[in-house]
Amino acid sequence: MEVTATWYLILSALLFTMGLVGLLVRRNPLIMFMCVELMLNAVNISFVAFSGALNDVAGRTAVFFVLVVAAAEVVVGLSLVVALMRRRPTLTADDLTALRG
Amino acid sequence: MIASTLLAAETTADVAFGTLPSLILVPLLTAAVIMLLPASRADYVKLAALIGSVITGAISIYVLWHFDVADPGFQFTAQREWISSLGLSWFLGIDGISLFLVVLTGILFPIAILTTEPHHDPKPYHVWIMLLMAGSMGAFLALDLLLFFLFFEVVLVPMYFLIGGWGHGNRVYAAMKFFLYTMAASALMLVGIVSLVFLAAGDTGGATFNVIELAENHQLSTLASTLVFLSFALAFAVKVPVFPVHTWLPDAHTEAPTAGSVILAGVMLKLGTYGMLRFGVYLFPEVVFDLGWIFMTLGVIGIVYGAAVATMQKDLKRLVAYSSVAHMGFIVLGIFALNSQGMTGAVVQMVNHGITTGALFILVGWIYERRHTREIAALGGLQKSAPLMAGVFTLVMLSSVGLPGLNGFVGEFLILLGTFSAARWWAVVAVSGVILAALYMLWAYQRTFHGPAVGENATMEDMRLSELFGILPLLVLIVFLGVYPKPMLDRIEPSVDALIEHVEERVTDFYEPEPNEVERVGVTGLIEAAEHGESGGEGEEDH
Amino acid sequence: MGLFAQTVVDAIDTPEVEWKMMAPLLVLAVGAIVLITITSVVPRTRRGGFPAAFTITTAAVAGWFLKVVWSGLGDHAETYGIWRRQWIVADALMIDGFTIFVWGVILLSVFLCGGLLDSYLRREGFDGPEWYTLMMISAVGGMLLAAAHDLILIFLAVEILSIAVYVLAGLHLRRSDSQEAAFKYFILGALASAFLLYGIALVYGATGTTHLVDIFMYRSTNAAGLSPLTNSSMMLAGMAMIMIGFAFKISAVPFHVWTPDVYQGAPTPITAFMASAVKAAAFAGLFRIMWEGFTYYVDDWRPVLSALAIASLVVGSFLALAQTNVKRMLAYSSIVHAGFILIAVYAVPGVTGIGGDDPSRLGIEAFLFYLLAYTLMTIGTFGVLTAAGGVDDANHELADYRGLSKSQPVLAGLMAVLLFAQAGIPFTAGFVAKFRVIAAAAANEAYILGAVAMLAAVVSAVLYLRIVVTMFLVGDELVAHAVTDTDDDAATDGVADETASNDHLGEASTPFGQVYTPKPLLLAVMLAAFGTIVLGVFPQLVEPILTDAADSLSTLRQR
Repeated sequence: MEVTATWYLILSALLFTMGLVGLLVRRNPLIMFMCVELMLNAVNISFVAFSGALNDVAGRTAVFFVLVVAAAEVVVGLSLVVALMRRRPTLTADDLTALRG
Repeated sequence: MIASTLLAAETTADVAFGTLPSLILVPLLTAAVIMLLPASRADYVKLAALIGSVITGAISIYVLWHFDVADPGFQFTAQREWISSLGLSWFLGIDGISLFLVVLTGILFPIAILTTEPHHDPKPYHVWIMLLMAGSMGAFLALDLLLFFLFFEVVLVPMYFLIGGWGHGNRVYAAMKFFLYTMAASALMLVGIVSLVFLAAGDTGGATFNVIELAENHQLSTLASTLVFLSFALAFAVKVPVFPVHTWLPDAHTEAPTAGSVILAGVMLKLGTYGMLRFGVYLFPEVVFDLGWIFMTLGVIGIVYGAAVATMQKDLKRLVAYSSVAHMGFIVLGIFALNSQGMTGAVVQMVNHGITTGALFILVGWIYERRHTREIAALGGLQKSAPLMAGVFTLVMLSSVGLPGLNGFVGEFLILLGTFSAARWWAVVAVSGVILAALYMLWAYQRTFHGPAVGENATMEDMRLSELFGILPLLVLIVFLGVYPKPMLDRIEPSVDALIEHVEERVTDFYEPEPNEVERVGVTGLIEAAEHGESGGEGEEDH
Repeated sequence: MGLFAQTVVDAIDTPEVEWKMMAPLLVLAVGAIVLITITSVVPRTRRGGFPAAFTITTAAVAGWFLKVVWSGLGDHAETYGIWRRQWIVADALMIDGFTIFVWGVILLSVFLCGGLLDSYLRREGFDGPEWYTLMMISAVGGMLLAAAHDLILIFLAVEILSIAVYVLAGLHLRRSDSQEAAFKYFILGALASAFLLYGIALVYGATGTTHLVDIFMYRSTNAAGLSPLTNSSMMLAGMAMIMIGFAFKISAVPFHVWTPDVYQGAPTPITAFMASAVKAAAFAGLFRIMWEGFTYYVDDWRPVLSALAIASLVVGSFLALAQTNVKRMLAYSSIVHAGFILIAVYAVPGVTGIGGDDPSRLGIEAFLFYLLAYTLMTIGTFGVLTAAGGVDDANHELADYRGLSKSQPVLAGLMAVLLFAQAGIPFTAGFVAKFRVIAAAAANEAYILGAVAMLAAVVSAVLYLRIVVTMFLVGDELVAHAVTDTDDDAATDGVADETASNDHLGEASTPFGQVYTPKPLLLAVMLAAFGTIVLGVFPQLVEPILTDAADSLSTLRQR
């Protein structure tokens, strides 16, 4: 059976959904953070798949930009998580309740 | 006919940005000057406010003096581009309908400043008063729909601070209620205004907020104009206030400082009725013709309800406030009677109510200052300690009751006459309001000034000469406009007639319901006849 | 293989860069780098006023270049006519009136927030160049976003804009609230970016291009059956995801949940920056995409936008009433403002003119004017909050603002002006902005939308009045008592009268005895309030640039 672009797109959609659900369900800041990365990389798969199907290079170049952005987000996100964890080592997202109206 | 005269006014509109703008700019500048004065010098502040308002008043008198009696159109027009891409301009003008309201504003403000004293922080107080004056003037002068709305809305802010900052008792609540009620009601008016402008853009040749062009040219469908009219009417009805939406008024009036009450009753309520006349009837004659009965009914309910509730009030100021509801009911009735007598009467009554109720609020304010209470039950026998005040109060009260020979009579009589020919039974019910007015006013007077004077009532200080001097212009007007209303009617009538002609032009099956008698004698003659006929009958029996 | 060779050739043939047209953007970017470099090399410049002065000057210089760009914007002949607009950097950026205006708004925001930050950081003892550098970098992202016409570039711009602000929100090291806010902002911001990116991928898949003009043209070529991947449902899904991504950024209901928390937790000057520049840029991006990319899908996205607008107006204004924290109140009020701006975006299309007044022009002008007015009002308001909040942003409860008019009359007066402007009182920029939006809605026959907006404005006026009452009227209630009721029933009010008789609500009895209002902050707030009033009385001042923007946007474009 031939593996077409659709397969990759479905994989991408599945990974994206997993990331989204994980982000909404999990309470550990680090895991939530990983879910965000999962979502971004799921989109990368889509980009590559489209790029191949369209025979166009723009999609592949986009992936590089996304990788750079993801790296930048890792830096910021991890440092934020570290800053939070330093105050309370057993922190979960449910503990972030100081701001509530 | 009105179209041609109005368009003639249009062409001369580009003359100097002169007289009328100065009515707005002088108070504005005065406010700026007061802001620069040191807060510690209360006397300078008051003097500056007084000078500024008197100059403004003098300019309004100048306008009155040079007003062309024969011209029913807009005079002294001044126009300046504003946001041209949206068709907005600073377009000011004055006609017989707005003339006397402008003069009233010019007279009431100096008197309110002169006769009352803020109990703290005179500087911001007078700044707010002057801003209020600029805003009120602007609203009466604006001939650009949006400009009117701007002024109509902006006067809320100074009034809000006056009530909230210098009022009595539950003042913060009263100020909030006043502000939100009025703002909520006028919120939809803005939507109505822009809808009207864009729906009519095809008829007026591009979007314009010019009231004259809109009134002459717009061809809105019945549904659209009804909806837009209702959005206007709600805003005006709350401002007037018409019966079911009047509940902000007693609170605002009672808690406001005296000057605030005077201006609120004398000037700001008129914004509502003036708006109904200028922007309701003028822009949507068809709808007014169809739905006028609703407003007449509400007006009549207001008359009776206001009078009935006033009768039961224990607080003197609240009593005056409810009497305002009744009087404003008369004005609404007169406007929607849609004939010359009714509308002329409504305009006259607007002015008279401003004078009379303003004077009443000043008097009640003085009593409160001396006695620290407005409870009718706690007062009594003031006539003995303060005979001068009792005399003045009598005069003002009788004017409020509508005694022939005093100004209150002229307006009410004309309104009833107009209503009678337009809708007989409404007039019959409204007459009962006049009787009730006599009841609650005389009763209140009796309980306050007659009887034995106990405690502090016996030692209350009488009116000072300076106070008498302050209120004297109002007393003179009460008598003058009652005895000789002709000059006033001569200036109001042509504009009102032009407005009615406009209604007749726009509404196919409308003709002005007129009693034959009026056609022969004219309004002025009728008034004179009525006064000669009736004034002998009643007389001043209460002394 | 041939494809790869082609790509290499393309890559070597680098596009021409019109440096002059990008000058404002470059000045800010270079300024950010120079600032951090100078302060690293000469450590004593880290403290004191240097970073702020440098930032403000940079913003002012960039603003001056804005004028150069605008006057350099010659008439460019295109197929559809001659317009004052220009593609630069291989058609990736479009310089036109719209771009210049939004750049101006963002630079204004940097300019004013620079003043706020200086005062704030000195009070908190955090003064250093990082804050300013990050703010300028974020602003560069925002400026890119306003001009970008390529979806990939839009994504990058959004990220540059956001990542710097994630850090800024968490930079107050003493307050755990600040870090909590930063984390929430980060997680939801990243979620929004992921949605945006997925949307971009889907649109790319459906059209084979990421350039807005090509996406716009795609619909017409698609009709001729030229595209390899004809899939409009993929296109719509992508469009929806892009809209979700931006809805997070502009905090439209129901994607607003982070807004109150983040606005409350972030350092107040940063909140001002988030609410003004970040939001303005995000709106500009949304506007560009919707109006220039998805023009043909108007009937699909308009209902969504109007639903978002109504939800924002209603939910924002009513939830605001339940708040007791002033920063949260203003966060909800910013949601209401977002609803208004969404109406302007909604009102843009529909190119049938009525009586010579093209309604799409009105929408564009309303949109831009609202951004400017909102920026002024919101920075001014949060500026006052910066001063009034006290050290560590500790005093933001409504009760803390009691009697502010007595202890800080100037500050309270400015706050009142700004709040009344937000409520839409005439002769302020707030009114003109609301009026323009309502006019645009009416011109597009969206009467219901206009009515809902005005009613929401009334409901949110309650909120502004509550703050004004607390500042002005609650405090001097005691004074009024002391003056008028000297003789009778002084004891009825118990505690309140006791304080009144001791000192006329003296400085000591309020937390504002020691409110710290340094000059830069006060100047920034004054400037904002002054601008609010000037724009309210003379709204025609910005008319020429608005006309330019409307000219450019209400006409078809080509690459």
